[in-house]
Parts: sequence; structure tokens; C-alpha cells
Amino acid sequence: MTSAIALANVIFRYRQGGFTLSCPKLDFFPGELSLITGANGSGKTTLSQLMCGILQPSQGEVRIFGKSAANLSLGQIGSQVGYLFQNPARQLFSGTVWKEMTLVDELLGRDSKSAACKASRLLEDFGLGHLQERSTYYLSGGEKQRLALCTLLMGGARFLILDEPTVGLDKPNRQILYSVIDSLLAEGRGLAVITHEAELIRRYPQAGRIQVDKGQVAS
Amino acid sequence: MRNGDPRVKLVWVLLCTTGALIFFRPWWMLSLALFTLAGTLAFGAELESLLGRLTRLLPLLAGIFLIHILFVQTGEPLLLIRGFPLVTSDGILRGATTLLRFFVILGCAAVMARENSRRVMAALTRMGIPYLFTFQLMIALRFIPSFTSSFSDARLALQLRGVELDKIPFRKKLRLYADLLLPVVADAVVKSRVLAIAMEARGFGAYEKRTSFLEVRMTPLDWLLTAVLTGLGLAFLGCYFFGWGGL
Repeated sequence: MTSAIALANVIFRYRQGGFTLSCPKLDFFPGELSLITGANGSGKTTLSQLMCGILQPSQGEVRIFGKSAANLSLGQIGSQVGYLFQNPARQLFSGTVWKEMTLVDELLGRDSKSAACKASRLLEDFGLGHLQERSTYYLSGGEKQRLALCTLLMGGARFLILDEPTVGLDKPNRQILYSVIDSLLAEGRGLAVITHEAELIRRYPQAGRIQVDKGQVAS
Repeated sequence: MRNGDPRVKLVWVLLCTTGALIFFRPWWMLSLALFTLAGTLAFGAELESLLGRLTRLLPLLAGIFLIHILFVQTGEPLLLIRGFPLVTSDGILRGATTLLRFFVILGCAAVMARENSRRVMAALTRMGIPYLFTFQLMIALRFIPSFTSSFSDARLALQLRGVELDKIPFRKKLRLYADLLLPVVADAVVKSRVLAIAMEARGFGAYEKRTSFLEVRMTPLDWLLTAVLTGLGLAFLGCYFFGWGGL
């Protein structure tokens, strides 16, 4: 099976120095869930940002659905790999919840009716249906988290990277997230989830485990 | 001079930026740019970062230069198209003057960027400027990187949703950036309010008078430099406006 994301002999050094991430070989497959764990500052977020092209490796190669990430623009990567930031407020920038959901489809000139249908359904599924006209600034942390995830699902990304998606979510909202993960996996989409959440780790015992320790990635 | 009192640097910056604003004669601006370059080297500014900033601004600078060339019609015509003077000597000189003005301002920014903001605050307070004003100024300056980072985050998030910004038509892109700007400004306002609450929670402003562990003192060399710079500034202004010394 072709891997969704493949990292080979990747080394990343921040320009300021002080931290190096090293990843000999790592593959993520469609339809599979991988959990990335490790202590604070171990390099989990750096790894995830390398996986979606936000960062470029100093050495080695990252391939996304068979193509070298170095030859793809962020927009091209974004159409295949969705990324949920650690702080979801970083990726919400429209005036209202509804505009946030439909902005990309409007920009890309996609069919507005089907986009509106999809947006309504997703907002309802995530318990945000009643907040369509609310400004994104007045959403709670958990609502922002769910909205950011909804916006990712609006696109057709075949692989999703979620950076600590359970942060700020209470138990009912975590349950919603788990059911979303289940349905995404059932649809054949791949997922890489950075987490410290023991509940999430226990819930998916069959998931691939990637441990990051002081910049060393081991699977 | 690298570790000299920030007040000397402030006097130098005042001198350079005043010159940049009031000089319109090209040779004067060139002299000022050379003076700025000497200052940036003497004060130990990072030339690499200055050049990096200039490189980033290159398209903008080229555009400004082009506008001056095309819109200034006075001077000796250098390129005529059907009798219309497209490029004139004045246009080139004015364009070059504006570019040098940018260089002066960026040079001053590079010197001040290298200075510790707490030392600048202490220096401004010693100059008699109320602490609250200098503090507000420093906080405002610290918000600039936060502001630019919010804007680039928004661009990044948009691209990661599959939008290829390069392929969006210019008009649509312009509207999109205008749309992005509003939440970014709102975000900065929210951050500033949170910062104010956090500072008050830590006791900021609890006492009328504020003490500081950090003290800046002018050495004899600093006083000498300040006197020389002030004298130079007055002499330049005299020469420029009143033609002292036949200049």
C-alpha cells in the first residue's frame, strides 16, 4: 500500500539551533490511526509540521502521497493533508462561524449549495449548528477546537494531522471527537494524532504508536 | 560604542530620521545614508539582518523607484518616446533619494532592534519621559512581531486548507487580505487586554513611583558623542537651510 506520508532519514534543525529532530524512517498509511506521544518539548509538533510541509527538513525527504513535499506548494499539500493546530484560534480568522466554514469553497469557486449542505451537516454533527452567526472570537476554547476540526473536514483532505485535539474538550465533546475519528477511519482517511490523553490512547489500542523523545523519533 | 548608553543611539536616530524627513537634495541624502551606514557599523547593528530586510523590501523599493521615474517629468530627458520624456534625470535622482531615505530608516531600526528594550526604557525615563509612556511604547513595539505572526498564521492556515494563494486572482486576493486583516487587528486588541489584566494581576501600577534594578549611566565618552552628534546635527541643518559654509 502507498503511504500517505513517508519520512526517510529526516533531520531538522531550527535555525536558532538548540534543537534537532531526527527521524530515520516513518510511514503513515491511509485508513490508519497513528498516535504520536512524547514529553513536552520532545519535538512532536516539529514532527507534525514536517509531515505537512510547514517546515522543510534540513536533510532527508518527506513524501506526501508519493510526491516529494519539497516540490509541492502548501496549498497543494493542504488539499491532501489537513492540519489542526495545537492552538485552534490560530487557524480561525473569519468574522462568523458560517463564513469560516464556507470561506475556502467560496475562494476556490466550488459549488456553493453543496458546500452549504456540508457545512450545515458538519456544524450540526459537532454541536455548533446554533452558533452559525456567532463571531469566532466569542466561542469558547472547546467550540473553537471543534470549529477548527470542522473546517478541516470541509476540505477533501485524505490525511489529517491533529495536534493535541482533546485539549480544552470536556467529556461529551471528547466523545464527539472520538466518533469523528471513527467515522474518518471508516471512510478510509488516515490520521496522525498528537496526544497526551490516556483515554484516547486506551480507546485505540490497535493504533500505531510513535514515540518522540528528545528529538528522536521511534515507532 | 556598541554597549554605549542608549541615549547616544537615540540622539543618533533622531538626527538621522530628521535628516531623512527633511532632506530632498540627492547628495545630501547620500551623505546622510553614508553617515547612517557608519553609525550602524559603529553601534554594532547586524548588517546581515539589515540586508535581509532590504532584500525582502526589494519589490516594493523597485516599485517606488519606478513610480518616481515615470511620474517626475522635470530635468534632462534621458529617454523620449514619441517626444514624451519617459525617463528624466530628476526622476532617477528623486527615486534614488527615496530609496536612500528607506535605507536610513531601516538602518536606524536595525540599531535600535539590537538594543535591549529595558535599557531603552530606563534611558527614556532618565530623559524625563514618564515611565508609563515609555512602557506603552515598548509594549506597542513588541506587538509588531505578534501582529505579523498572526497574519502569517492566518495565511498558513488558509493554505493548509488547500488554497493556493498564488493562483487566486489579484482582486480576490486583495479582498481576502482585507478580510484577514480585521480579525488579526481584533486579535491584537484581545491580546493587549489580556496582557493588561495579567500585568495588573501581578501588581503593575500598584505604587506611584517605580523603582528599577537596571540603571543606565552616561560615561564621559557618551557625553562627548552626544555633544558631537548634536553639534553635527545643528551644523547640517544650518548648511541645508541657510547655506552656511557655501553648501
